[in-house]
Amino acid sequence: MDVFGSFSLLLAFVCAVYAFVGGIVAIKTRHPLLIKSSRHAGMATCVLIFIGAFCVEYLFFTDNFSMAYVVSHSNRDLSTFYKVAALWAGQEGSLLFWSTLLSIYVLSVLIAYRNKNGELMPYVGVVLAGVQIFFLTLNNFVENPFKTLATVNASGVLEPFTRMDGNGLNPLLQYPEMVIHPPNLYSGYTGFTIPFAFALAALLARYPGEKWIHLTRKWTMIAWCFQSLGILLGAHWAYAVLGWGGYWGWDPVENASLLPWLSGTAFLHSVMMQEKRGMMKVWNVWLVFSTFLLCILGTFLTRSGVVSSVHAFANSQIGPWFVGFMLLTIAVCLFAYIKNHDYLKSENQLDSFISRESSFLFNNLLFLVACIAVLSGTLFPVFSEWFTNNRISVGAPFFNKVMIPIALALLFLTGVGPLLAWRQTSVESLKRNFGWPLIVGIVTGTAAFFLGYRDATAMLCLSLCGFVLWTIVMEFYRGAKVIAARTGMSMMMAAHELSMRNTRRYGGYVVHFGMVLIFVGLAGSAFNSDVQKAMNIGDSMKLGPYTLILQSGDTKAEKNYTAQRMIVEVLRDKKQIMMLYPEKRQFQGNEQAAGTMVAIYSTLREDLYVVYAGMDPEANVPVIHAFLNPLVKWIWLGGVWVVMGTLLALMPNRRATLVLAGAAQPAVSPAAQALNPSATLREGND
Amino acid sequence: MIAASCSKSNAFIANAKRTTILVALLAFALAPLVMAQVTYSAHAKAIGMHLKCMCRGCDMTVTLCSHPGGAFSGPCTVPEIGAQASLRQIDELLNKGMSDQQVIDAFVAKYGAVVYVEPPKKGFGLVAWIMPFFYFFAGLALVVFVVRKMRSRQIAAAPAAPGVPRDILERARAQAARETED
Repeated sequence: MDVFGSFSLLLAFVCAVYAFVGGIVAIKTRHPLLIKSSRHAGMATCVLIFIGAFCVEYLFFTDNFSMAYVVSHSNRDLSTFYKVAALWAGQEGSLLFWSTLLSIYVLSVLIAYRNKNGELMPYVGVVLAGVQIFFLTLNNFVENPFKTLATVNASGVLEPFTRMDGNGLNPLLQYPEMVIHPPNLYSGYTGFTIPFAFALAALLARYPGEKWIHLTRKWTMIAWCFQSLGILLGAHWAYAVLGWGGYWGWDPVENASLLPWLSGTAFLHSVMMQEKRGMMKVWNVWLVFSTFLLCILGTFLTRSGVVSSVHAFANSQIGPWFVGFMLLTIAVCLFAYIKNHDYLKSENQLDSFISRESSFLFNNLLFLVACIAVLSGTLFPVFSEWFTNNRISVGAPFFNKVMIPIALALLFLTGVGPLLAWRQTSVESLKRNFGWPLIVGIVTGTAAFFLGYRDATAMLCLSLCGFVLWTIVMEFYRGAKVIAARTGMSMMMAAHELSMRNTRRYGGYVVHFGMVLIFVGLAGSAFNSDVQKAMNIGDSMKLGPYTLILQSGDTKAEKNYTAQRMIVEVLRDKKQIMMLYPEKRQFQGNEQAAGTMVAIYSTLREDLYVVYAGMDPEANVPVIHAFLNPLVKWIWLGGVWVVMGTLLALMPNRRATLVLAGAAQPAVSPAAQALNPSATLREGND
Repeated sequence: MIAASCSKSNAFIANAKRTTILVALLAFALAPLVMAQVTYSAHAKAIGMHLKCMCRGCDMTVTLCSHPGGAFSGPCTVPEIGAQASLRQIDELLNKGMSDQQVIDAFVAKYGAVVYVEPPKKGFGLVAWIMPFFYFFAGLALVVFVVRKMRSRQIAAAPAAPGVPRDILERARAQAARETED
């Protein structure tokens, strides 16, 4: 199976090269059969990569310990569930997994548009094949997952060698979220290749209009959704497994995942300027180029070990390959831009500083400043070492100081933007739209003060959350009121109908609502507290309103690890509310052999987060570390809303006329007309 | 020979499991004999937020170190340089009457600039603090420049783009909207 898999990857490389070269020749010659043949080669590349990935999984499932990759990341006792995840546990498998996920996107695009957009698709195919060639080069010639073990025999000749068992999977990865977090994050990284390919293809082909944006809108949203989900799952994993009481440590690998998310979010907003007003064409093209490059940079930072990280996945020699690929990509993008930049001229001007357009400009400015600030902070230790021979660390306090003001300004714009009209907004309109949200914001801040959340930044954040929340409520209320008046529906049904008529706009508001919840959760971090104590059986400690009593401890041997478990009784107002069972796991056959299982009692108000840190080495008694983290649950709930909002935005719009047909009044009022996507703006009603 | 090493390996794993369980049970049995509390002053923990744990195994702060993968989930117990040792040293230095900055300086003198969690606001470290402001103001200047340029141009009077007339562009857009309608 290893030979079969290895051969598949090699053949995939050959097919990708054919799709790339054949595609270029097909573009030049316009030969229909060559165009078709290149497309088929692109599809074959994807299928062969799937076979290669399947072969690696097969080797894991059959415990083939003659394979170096299987030995390094699995053992016989590893459960089937985690054997699936072992594919992306190491360098070689991760890069193959990148290729695999990219292939899912590429195959979907090639099939979906096989008979459409004949002028554009050959260019798209060439760009996609170019990206695949890079990753297949790594898969085949640099980090091949099909390396076999060998030993030198007595006569000095290399001969195959099979180990009895493997080293096992890194304990930190043996957690259910680790099985779904990397696929989500990688789906985000790889997904941005599609808008990049279409943007570059449209520029190279001088494809008229914004069709590439229309075509890639859903792909961009899907990639963004995966990236958001991946980041949140990673944060939850860090919270529930690392046992430090936090969820975001500004670790270089975390930052790497945030970079394309920030630029991708900027792109999702600024693209509306191009769709509605034909503006920002150059900006959008470069934004999507940058997002793709940041995805590659993120993979490079994660995989190369150029910056030290708690993730510490790899420390390898693939760095120069990634740097070379990024430089080549920048060169191609620059060439395409210089050659065809006249095609990207703006069709409209900005009419007023107080308009939807200018709010998008400031939104983009803040997202980009955040992105570059995180990037330069992450790379600063490397730069400082280059310039001064002295490595200066940049940790969480720096990022918090820089990012909190930017994040709050973005939260403010989240509320402001949707209330501003395209082109120009009158002062009367500003008063009408912002009066109530401002009042709600002030009331929320005051309520936070009286509820005990007395920290200036947190109170400002909660006030802004109230402000944004009310702007969203008003948007739904106004639209639903018009529909309810016309159709006789209840307000709830009318709000649902409104959302279904313009899914992208109202899906966007649901995403904004999710972000508000996330910001509420982040505000809570200003009030975290903790206590750590070495405890004998029967000892107790207090944390906030809770009393923790160590009742007992036990040890249980599982298939792949031995768990030491503490049984902690939790009291509140002298009443028992629950038992918590924090664990310390000792895994077999791995250098990083210990893992933590945190026990969390989670409510909307706060999380009681209990860690069994281990035996105190001096006193030889169990050490319990407990944290009280207010409002954390809101972050995970916000994540759910973000995903739901994106899914809503991905749904097709329901035609307003179908509903209005049954109404008593056939004449359409201006307000109802404003709700009809086809009646007012070019497309949608964002 | 392979079978022999397999059974040896299994026996080794079984022994390891037994040993682990015995050590754990012994620890519980001995536990009541000892009473200890891991305490560091809140002041030391506040200063520890500004210093990196130098155990080289976690890359976290002295205060928040949980040493993922280690036998003890933080503050780590690595002798001399671990988080527990550092917190103790901070308390000792504070007891000698040192100020917060003097304590931090003492750690920098011992380990170098790498011990900082955030760059110092002097020397090359200052660059890290200036950069975000530079990005913001440079971006703002760019936005203002672009907006002014946009407003000063009467684009409507000019042709949409060389080679792509406005009516063709509008037709293409309408066609694109039709073909890619949600």
